[in-house]
Amino acid sequence: MAAPLTLLLILAVTIRAALYRSSLADLIAERVEVVSPLTAWKRVVEGLALLDLGVSPYAGDVFHETPLIIYLFHFLVDYAEITFMVTDVITAVALYLAVKDYNKQVFRKQKYALEAERYPLDCLELIRSPKEMYYIPLKVAMFYLLNPFTILSCVAKSTCGLNNAVIALFILTTIKGNVLLSAIFLSLATYQSIYPLTLCAPALLYLTQRQYIPVNFRRFSFWWFVAQYAFMYLGSLFVMICLSFFLLGSWDYLPSVYGFILSVPDLTPNIGLFWYFFAEMFEHFRLFFLCVFQINIFFYTIPLSIKLKEHPVFLIFMQLAVISIFKSYPTVGDIALYLAFLPVWSHLHRFLRNIFLVSCVLLACSALFPVLWHLWIYAGSANSNFYYAITLLFNVAQVGRTVTETKVHLAASVSGFVYRSCCLTVT
Amino acid sequence: MLFKTVNLRRRGQLAALSIAAVVILIGVPLWWRTTETYRAWLPVSQIQELANLQLQLSADVEVVFARGTVTPEQQKKVPLTLTQDDEHVVDEDTALRYRYETRYRTATIMEEDALNQPTAAEADLSLHTLSESPCGSLVVYVIPESSSLLPEDVDVYVGQRRTALLRIGAQTRVGRTLEQLLSHLEPRVKQVLQVMSFSHTDITAALSDRVRLSPGNKESIADSMRAFKSSPGYEITFSLLNPDPKSHRLHWDIEGAVQTYIQPLLRKLAPLANFSIDSQTLYYAMLGVNPRFDSSRSAYTLNSDSLAHVINPVEARLGSNAASSNPVLNFLLYVPDAHHSPLHINDHKKQEVPSNAFHSPRWGGIMVYNVNDFYGPEAAFPVDINIDMAKVMGVFLAQLRLLLGVQSSAPPPRFLVAPCSSAGIADWELDRLMWSRSVENIATATTTITSLAQLLDQIGNIVINDNIAQQVSSAVTSLQLAVAELESGNLRFALQYSKEAILASERAFFDPSLLHLLYFPDDQKFAIYIPLFLPMCVPILLSLLKIVSDARQRRREKHAKAD
Repeated sequence: MAAPLTLLLILAVTIRAALYRSSLADLIAERVEVVSPLTAWKRVVEGLALLDLGVSPYAGDVFHETPLIIYLFHFLVDYAEITFMVTDVITAVALYLAVKDYNKQVFRKQKYALEAERYPLDCLELIRSPKEMYYIPLKVAMFYLLNPFTILSCVAKSTCGLNNAVIALFILTTIKGNVLLSAIFLSLATYQSIYPLTLCAPALLYLTQRQYIPVNFRRFSFWWFVAQYAFMYLGSLFVMICLSFFLLGSWDYLPSVYGFILSVPDLTPNIGLFWYFFAEMFEHFRLFFLCVFQINIFFYTIPLSIKLKEHPVFLIFMQLAVISIFKSYPTVGDIALYLAFLPVWSHLHRFLRNIFLVSCVLLACSALFPVLWHLWIYAGSANSNFYYAITLLFNVAQVGRTVTETKVHLAASVSGFVYRSCCLTVT
Repeated sequence: MLFKTVNLRRRGQLAALSIAAVVILIGVPLWWRTTETYRAWLPVSQIQELANLQLQLSADVEVVFARGTVTPEQQKKVPLTLTQDDEHVVDEDTALRYRYETRYRTATIMEEDALNQPTAAEADLSLHTLSESPCGSLVVYVIPESSSLLPEDVDVYVGQRRTALLRIGAQTRVGRTLEQLLSHLEPRVKQVLQVMSFSHTDITAALSDRVRLSPGNKESIADSMRAFKSSPGYEITFSLLNPDPKSHRLHWDIEGAVQTYIQPLLRKLAPLANFSIDSQTLYYAMLGVNPRFDSSRSAYTLNSDSLAHVINPVEARLGSNAASSNPVLNFLLYVPDAHHSPLHINDHKKQEVPSNAFHSPRWGGIMVYNVNDFYGPEAAFPVDINIDMAKVMGVFLAQLRLLLGVQSSAPPPRFLVAPCSSAGIADWELDRLMWSRSVENIATATTTITSLAQLLDQIGNIVINDNIAQQVSSAVTSLQLAVAELESGNLRFALQYSKEAILASERAFFDPSLLHLLYFPDDQKFAIYIPLFLPMCVPILLSLLKIVSDARQRRREKHAKAD
């Protein structure tokens, strides 16, 4: 499998390099769908300039990325394009390896279940064959590298690529079962943007199941494992925050980064839901609705964990989807990461009834975003409602697709007469 | 397999219950805390105490007996102090108490020498060099009947500072006891106090903001409406109106005149308020009234009835310093045009007013200055005319005193009041003004604070920010201090605290931040919550209902199985 993967990587790098050299790079770097106030490259350059002058990069409310990123680019600013290409490559390879390992486990579980004759004979079509599963990791890497969203994000030099790389490495180490590295990468991801905190729950579920610790609240072994993981996680988070403090010399990065993510002061339009709502909100209710919107992201962790207890990798996929839809400053780069997981559950896609509708809506909205932006800002004949309508539609399509995936996955995972009933309804 | 589905359903219920738990346990307290109207703490109990105003005004009087008024035996008993209280209840919330602390003593040798001067004015002057009375107090010198200081028909001479000379009446003969003497003097000293310190009518007039009093006769209504209400600052504007620049080129040295005549008075009134002066010249400004030619006096005349119509058309052209909210006193000097000169103002009895000026209550004054005597018929127009500022400023100064409330009523019979000092206002007149202004400020400030507290109590939608609470607290503190200082007789401090109290209470009352959420009806709040929360709550409610109905069905099945 190395050869096709290498070919894919070379192709991806070529496309990106070609786009870097063209005139489209500047154009893409300014699109609000691709960059946000958190991830824009322009702001990183501004922060670097301030750092060179000896002023704190967070002075002036321009730069909102973490201190480790700015010190990384302090050394790599001349090789920025190569850095982002390498980041994409790392993400793709991490996803490839992770899905390969996951598939091995799924196949093993399926073999045991087959031998125990838990599957009724009608649902043979749901059982995956090794040939199908052989190409899935390559498909995942391809979905990520050749996704137009990813290419746009890389060409715009948005730091979202770095966030995606860290999350992909976290997924890889979790699936491989390495507790310490999983905790470290998760804390790095949380340090970058707060929302990956919700990935703690699926990570814990997966790791406990891999180590055959039963997920039972009355068992001591379960709590002992949770305590170990929490200690590693919190410890590495603490180390990173203190490291940033010592690098910069002050605590003013905390309100600039985390305060900015949580309190959403910048209402530049993007493909998220926050900007329009808070632009029209009365001052008196702003705090309340801010809390509601932020809780909304963390809200789905517990119910989803309860329902999807046996499918932690699917839970990771769900959480990534929830984060990239509901976070305060989403960009297309976040969407690209969870779209890469679609081939893993390709065997269920024939049961998704509205897949055609959803795909068409997503494509149409992606095409309409620049059109309505131009009409609103440059031609002046539309207004913010038009753009927000397309944003809403885009997010509704994503949510709809996520919900149906969950339903179908849950239905497909229960063995026994429920399986039979689902086959009956489908056929 | 049944077990697995039951397990699954139970997990689904658990998931729904967890959502409901988060909504209720975290959502509702969050909503309550973040959307409540911010109300800082106010000292409500202290404000309610202030609503019931018990003012005590203390005046210190020193009565000095000159030689010849008391016998030597009485002289030994004389150094004594008496305190007298007069209580008046104005209405159910307001009560006044006047406390007179009278100290009796005999004159020192230096004071006797001063009293031996030929005239009262000189005696007054030399008495001043001896001692300085503090603000708010009085010294009354009792002189024997045989003294030649005062003329025949005058019993009391009121000096320029805070002294008065009182002549003992003819009834006092040697042989009277000290008590009889004191009881004879007491009403007369009180009469002097009424003129020089405060009288009940003045103080109740100052309380008019708080207490509705039935108006007295016509003169007292006019007197009470003339003076400007107490304000922390006043703007004084002098305007020269020249309707005929083609004939008259007018020159007035207004800066010098203000410096010489007006500034001394304003400097003396500095503890009362801040004054700012400006001046302007207005060309082609006509009076709104056509004067009638009176052939018997060969002059144009303005009747007293038409004076009311003069001001309005002029006022529109005057312009004002819009940057301040202080009341403006306008003093207009009108030089009639060549065709309507000379112009005289007639009073009600159709007599010429000697000063040729009139004033309008709470607005200002107008003086007509005739210049037809300065040039002959063959003069080349335009004629240069220098206005005699001494005459003009004399009239304006008198009007300024009236408008600021310095002089309100004529003195009682057999009283001789000394002419004003060079500053234009006597010390005791200033004291009178300070008494009434302090009381007025305290009354207004208490009314404002109590009505603000009532308003904030009744309307729950008003936001009380921290700065409002701080202003209210400082107003309450200043008011309490002002009342305390009035009680102990420190007039200057009482006035200063009362001014601070008024400033703070007005600032708190009219602050725009109070109104942020005032007109926010509750149904608009629903319009804010429903678009987001109603669709969110529908699935939660439905699943909760399903759980309840499932539980009920299971219980019914269990009962059916049991039977």
